[in-house]
Amino acid sequence: MFEYSFMLNALFGALLSGLSLAIFAPYVTLRRISYMGEALSHIAFAGIAIAILLGLNLTFTTLVFVVLISLVIGWLSRKRKLHEANTISIFLSVSMALGIILISISKNYSFDLASYLFGNVLLITGVEIQSLLILNVLNLAFVLVFYKELFYLTYNEEMARVFRIRIAPVSHLFLVLLAANIVINLKSAGIILVTAQLILPAVIAFNFVHSLHRAIVTSAIVAILSATIGFALSYNLNLPTGATIVLFEALIYFLSLNFRGKQNA
Amino acid sequence: MIQISNLQYGLGGKSILENINLEIPDGEFVAIIGPNGAGKSTLIKLLLGIWEMQQGSIQTDGINQQEWLKTNIFGYLPQHEEFDRSFPATALDIALMGLAGKLPLATRFKPLHKQAALTALEQTGVADLAKRLIGNLSGGEFQRVLLARAIVGGSRYIILDEPEASLDRPSVESFFALLKSLNEAGHTIITISHDLNVLSRYCSFLVCLNRTLHCHNHTELVSAEIIHNTFGDSVRIIEKDY
Repeated sequence: MFEYSFMLNALFGALLSGLSLAIFAPYVTLRRISYMGEALSHIAFAGIAIAILLGLNLTFTTLVFVVLISLVIGWLSRKRKLHEANTISIFLSVSMALGIILISISKNYSFDLASYLFGNVLLITGVEIQSLLILNVLNLAFVLVFYKELFYLTYNEEMARVFRIRIAPVSHLFLVLLAANIVINLKSAGIILVTAQLILPAVIAFNFVHSLHRAIVTSAIVAILSATIGFALSYNLNLPTGATIVLFEALIYFLSLNFRGKQNA
Repeated sequence: MIQISNLQYGLGGKSILENINLEIPDGEFVAIIGPNGAGKSTLIKLLLGIWEMQQGSIQTDGINQQEWLKTNIFGYLPQHEEFDRSFPATALDIALMGLAGKLPLATRFKPLHKQAALTALEQTGVADLAKRLIGNLSGGEFQRVLLARAIVGGSRYIILDEPEASLDRPSVESFFALLKSLNEAGHTIITISHDLNVLSRYCSFLVCLNRTLHCHNHTELVSAEIIHNTFGDSVRIIEKDY
């Protein structure tokens, strides 16, 4: 299946994409902010529309837009002006509405909404693989360097503050990196796969292991396995790649539930 | 010593604390009592710096609170620690949290930190549970782990918000006995409590609060009448017998 170089690129893309999100997934799952992944990927839509309308670089503009909005959401909820879930829902709908209006103003009908929803890893370019590679290095460095701060930020933000743990810069960086992961993964993975990959590998991992560092490693292994096997299945059965990877991951999830039951018994 | 002067606090136009002037001497076992909505938790959250002050001042060891908090922490035990029962943390991880703020950003715990956390767990009687996941601890065991976290940082002050709320009767007795031993070892204990029965035996200093301060004095100097004035008609509710 690798007689075409784009297939090899696509496999690398799927692996790196899954891996980058899998490293974040345990934190997203434990902090119960999986809706954040979904919301930020929708918010990206307005960023994409702005880039199309103004003829700017798509990834960079979207990245700046999503990072800005995620910081605003964080700031608004911290100042207790609004509940975080409410703030996010408001920004999600406003961004989608803004995106639709901007796309219609720009009269750019070549924009493919379906590929934004589901992504297409087969169209991934060398530059995008490089970005994913850099992203993975950044993610890994982030969770290794700030392990202690991330652990207590995830456990209980308010108590972490009481005990003077310096979580503020880490919390901001978390949001920025999460936004970067979502935007950079959007083209190859699409909204649906990004959301799934931010949850499934971690919930599977927590059915097998009970420590954060082991969960991160297990989540990464699940993502690598799902990307490889899902990719091979989609090639052989001629199915869409992203969707096959998600379904394969869902299958592991249901099997892992059985394992969890036995462990607790 | 903690000195509170002319402290006022309101939320949404409603006054919660009015004109609080209070001195808490070192080495006391202080109980803050008062009916629900009296502003007890607000007072503690202002003391801890969780909420920003609006009017008045707080000084600890003669230093302005904001300054003091930059280099010191209070040992704190909240009323309800919000956490996910499936969170993959052990009792040792939680005890270590009390030290995490003393370490620079982006550094790891060293064996000496783990040893200090184990010693704190030993002091609170739960060292044998160090490796157990917090989701598998009983309410009483978890409270003792939180107490270990409160003392591990070496703070002379331990502040507790209704520690008896999540404990059964025998656990309340043993928990307060443990607090008393920490008090005798030199810690100043400040606790919100509804359990007058326990307080009368363990506390040395009473703060009666119901939006304004009704008393702050050594326990033996506080009369039943003052307590009644603080609580009004709700006094029977807090005198519940187990």
